[in-house]
Amino acid sequence: MSNRRTKFATTAAILALVLSGCGGVGANNDKLSGDGKPVTLTSMGFGAGDEIAKVRVDEALKTISPDKVKLSENAFDAQQFLSAVAAGSPPDLVYLGRQVLGSYAAKDNLMPLTDCIAKQKIDMKQYRVPAVKEVTLDGKVYGLPEFYSNRIVLINNAALKEAGVDPAGVTTSDWAALTDLARTLTKRNGKGKLSRIGFDPKIPEFLPMWARANGVSIISEDGRTANLADPKLVEALEYTVSLINLQGGWGKFKAFRDSFDFFGAKNQFAKNQLGAFPMEDWYLNVLAENSPDVQITAVPFTGLDGQTVDFVSGQAWAIPAASKHKDVACEFIKTMTDSKTWVKAAQARAKARAAENKPYTGTYTGNLVADQTIFGELVKPSGNTSLDAAVQVVLKAQESAVTLPSSPAGEEFLKAWESAVNRVLSGDQKPAEALAQAQEEAQKALDAAAGN
Amino acid sequence: MSSVQTMAGGPPSTPAARPETAPEPAATPRRSASGGSRNLLSRTAFRVVLLGSSVLFLYPFLWLVSASVKPRPEVFDNLLIPEHFAPGNYARIWNAEPVLNWFLNSVTVSLAAAATVTVSSSLVAFGFAYFRFPGRNVLFGLVLGTMMLPGAVTMIPVYLIWNTAGLATTQVPLWAGNLFGSAFYIFLLRQFFLGLPREVFEAARVDGASYWTMFWRIAVPLCKPAMIVTFVFEIQASWSDLMRPLIYLRDPELFTLPRGLKAVVDRFGQSGEAEWEIVLAGSVITTLPMIILFFILQRYFVSGIATQGRKG
Amino acid sequence: MPGVTVAPAPGPQPRARPRRVTGLRRREALAGYGFLAPWLIGFTVFMAGPMIASFALSLTDYDILTPPEYVGWDNYRELLADPRVGLSLANTLVFALLHVPLTMLVALTLASVLARVGRRSAGFFRTVFYLPVVTPRVAVGVLFLLLFNGQVGLVNSTLEGFGIEGPEWTTDAPWVKPGLVVMSLWSVGGTVVIYLAALKNVPTELYEAAAIDGASAWRQFRHITLPMISGALFFTFIVLTIASLQVFDEAYTAYYGTAAAGYSSDAALFYLIYLFQQAFRFLHMGYASAMAWLLFLVIVVITVIQVRVSRRFVYYEGQ
Repeated sequence: MSNRRTKFATTAAILALVLSGCGGVGANNDKLSGDGKPVTLTSMGFGAGDEIAKVRVDEALKTISPDKVKLSENAFDAQQFLSAVAAGSPPDLVYLGRQVLGSYAAKDNLMPLTDCIAKQKIDMKQYRVPAVKEVTLDGKVYGLPEFYSNRIVLINNAALKEAGVDPAGVTTSDWAALTDLARTLTKRNGKGKLSRIGFDPKIPEFLPMWARANGVSIISEDGRTANLADPKLVEALEYTVSLINLQGGWGKFKAFRDSFDFFGAKNQFAKNQLGAFPMEDWYLNVLAENSPDVQITAVPFTGLDGQTVDFVSGQAWAIPAASKHKDVACEFIKTMTDSKTWVKAAQARAKARAAENKPYTGTYTGNLVADQTIFGELVKPSGNTSLDAAVQVVLKAQESAVTLPSSPAGEEFLKAWESAVNRVLSGDQKPAEALAQAQEEAQKALDAAAGN
Repeated sequence: MSSVQTMAGGPPSTPAARPETAPEPAATPRRSASGGSRNLLSRTAFRVVLLGSSVLFLYPFLWLVSASVKPRPEVFDNLLIPEHFAPGNYARIWNAEPVLNWFLNSVTVSLAAAATVTVSSSLVAFGFAYFRFPGRNVLFGLVLGTMMLPGAVTMIPVYLIWNTAGLATTQVPLWAGNLFGSAFYIFLLRQFFLGLPREVFEAARVDGASYWTMFWRIAVPLCKPAMIVTFVFEIQASWSDLMRPLIYLRDPELFTLPRGLKAVVDRFGQSGEAEWEIVLAGSVITTLPMIILFFILQRYFVSGIATQGRKG
Repeated sequence: MPGVTVAPAPGPQPRARPRRVTGLRRREALAGYGFLAPWLIGFTVFMAGPMIASFALSLTDYDILTPPEYVGWDNYRELLADPRVGLSLANTLVFALLHVPLTMLVALTLASVLARVGRRSAGFFRTVFYLPVVTPRVAVGVLFLLLFNGQVGLVNSTLEGFGIEGPEWTTDAPWVKPGLVVMSLWSVGGTVVIYLAALKNVPTELYEAAAIDGASAWRQFRHITLPMISGALFFTFIVLTIASLQVFDEAYTAYYGTAAAGYSSDAALFYLIYLFQQAFRFLHMGYASAMAWLLFLVIVVITVIQVRVSRRFVYYEGQ
């Protein structure tokens, strides 16, 4: 009997091992690292989707060989990251928005890269200064910047011609004129449904840019005082919401926009479903690849004072404080963001595009040195005047780049104002009321983070 | 609860074969001729109502499958037969995400969940059904009470337990709780065990059978249908679960299909930048296995649900 | 345990037994506890223990990374002042108030019709009605977003065919919850099957007798059917309510998560979603525990009221 029982216990134990084995996350690998055996780093937030990513990953893997990195295609997820930290098994590498990075740095979930930079002799001067500022908290660098997404206004020539307006004359400096333009460009079909959005202000996500246009920043320069209740910001929100309201209101507006073929050949420009919108530079690449023949015009996004506001944001690589392979991780992110790596990747893309007989509109990186080569040598006039001109507009705008300062409560701050805009859009609150509430929530989070 | 006893008194027949003493007005004897034709009329009317609502219930599936093989710009054209056929959507999601892993994870997790809950619940149910011991009714009342306990109340401490055990980022918490039985299944299986004539067990005991033998050799084989109901039900419940995979799984390669589908929605369903055809292909992949299982085992699904109402 | 076993067992046949059987009975009782062991352990470790732990946690600030800090009733005070707790609770109650009665009404209608057609076709239609129930809720959330898209979705296109201009179900705040409720009716099949089983258990003689008395169809339904299936109605009433107070999957899929974060709609912020965010997105374990207890109390109060009220209407066989 006891024999049988032991047997049962053994079977149960084996079964448990086998079953839990499905869940074991490389815990055994970590112990081997001391022996010089190859390790596999876990990561979060980065997927090797296109050649720009693939080429760089291959390069970076070469430098850390025989060690490996397991990439995950899904975007950085705060909940997943924090629960992994809580479980004591954070990823070795994370790829996340520079706007929110400060939150995790302030909580010591991420490690300062001071040692990493010194050991690997990372040349910090190659990175763009505003980008580095975004990932610097209390004088310490917590991340290496990746892309550098500039925002410009993209205009659908066909729609404007139809309305008899010159696309090059479109400006966001005159809000009354922009309202008229949006009204003119908006189209409804016979049944009253939207068939074209005239002008999409892209809120909530672009609200900080509209705030800049109206002369204010949504947060203080040191990233510790929220400025969400500023009358100028309220005005900017009121204005952008009014744009959406005159185009049928948020409900219709968003439902229609959700049906766009954004990444396809029948995108909203090709199908004449959108008049104009402020957008990030990478979208030029999407257009170049999918609908190179569609005529568009790019103009800089300008403030009420007529000055260009190039609102920039992007991602960064960071290393969790509890990462088990900090050195390898450091080496990996160094290579990923290095100018030589970027150039190699850009060459690959330029080649791929040339093979398809399509223009390459450039890759806007957080690496100044890389960009000099990319736009100096690789991006050549393609003959597609519309896209070539757009690239020049982005490059010119880049001189007026503004970023949000890094903040110890970046994530909470972002959530506070985004929710406020959502409440306004869905009609729950008036702009002033919503932003006052957001100010309170955000400041509370900022104070709490500063107290840490 | 007294209707429970009525049911428990019956023989342990196959649940699906439970006699359905239906009040079928058509079978009601001797109606006048005019009543008969009115009857025919109303039956036709009922059929029409049923056919109409069937369309409402089935059409979303057809729409889903059809839209999942349409190219992006045609997803919303609401045509049943795609104008252009784009099976490449499936290839794209296959390449973009570890879909096969997700499928296998879902299979493993739901099989583990179903197997453990069936074994543990039938043990406990047999304990309640056969044995007499102090506190039995109180304990059984407690079992029924836990059915009403919202999972949200214990969610956090249970997470902390798994976290302390170092298993919080594995698949173990998705099924291991089932090792301890589950109130609804205990209730269901107890009903069936109670339906077994006590004499069978008394006879076995006279022959010197142990309690374990009585459970394993007599009770379990006789109640196989009820155990299959339990198994099938738990497969379905575990397959659909989103909350627990959201809490516990971090590594995308460990995701189950619903958790994976949520990741696909997050990745490809961004407002204004959505690639719905990928999300739809993912939805079909997540749903199809359950539909197939349902068609194979539908009598168990249906009889399991039907028994629920009789607890009242 | 031995002390307990001496007490008279409240078995189904509590008749006095001769003394010599006591040993046997004790063995039987021990074996009984043995069979119950999995549940007893599970109840202690995964239910009773966590219930208590959850309450203890609700009196602390705890983020897992640092040890819990006792804060007394602060979490509960904060909770009552948190507008999002109020909002999510209101959203959840509105959903339950729409979802439960509509589900019962639609299910009862379908079941009544099913009970009146031949058994073969009833089986077919039952299968059709049940199919959506086995569809994972995440997929239902996806279907909701697409089918109910106000501009190009199937639902509004169909309504348009009847000359009705449908609302913006997925984006217009007042219509989000009604939209989710309509979508939830797609999964009414489980309740239909329960009602159908209950309807088939109503003795045919009752209808025959009523028919002879010349009772109208409505009176038969009101005075025979309803009382006879009141047990099933009551059961589904309770279960549907508890489930709808914990609604999560569809709304979370459609409106929350990493990408949707920029466009989440407060109209779909259900209580469990907010609780989940507090617990696992912000690691406010203490606060979330307090929220969990509030939900528990709400559910208990609602269930007690339901039981009290229903007691007057539910007819039990044999009483």
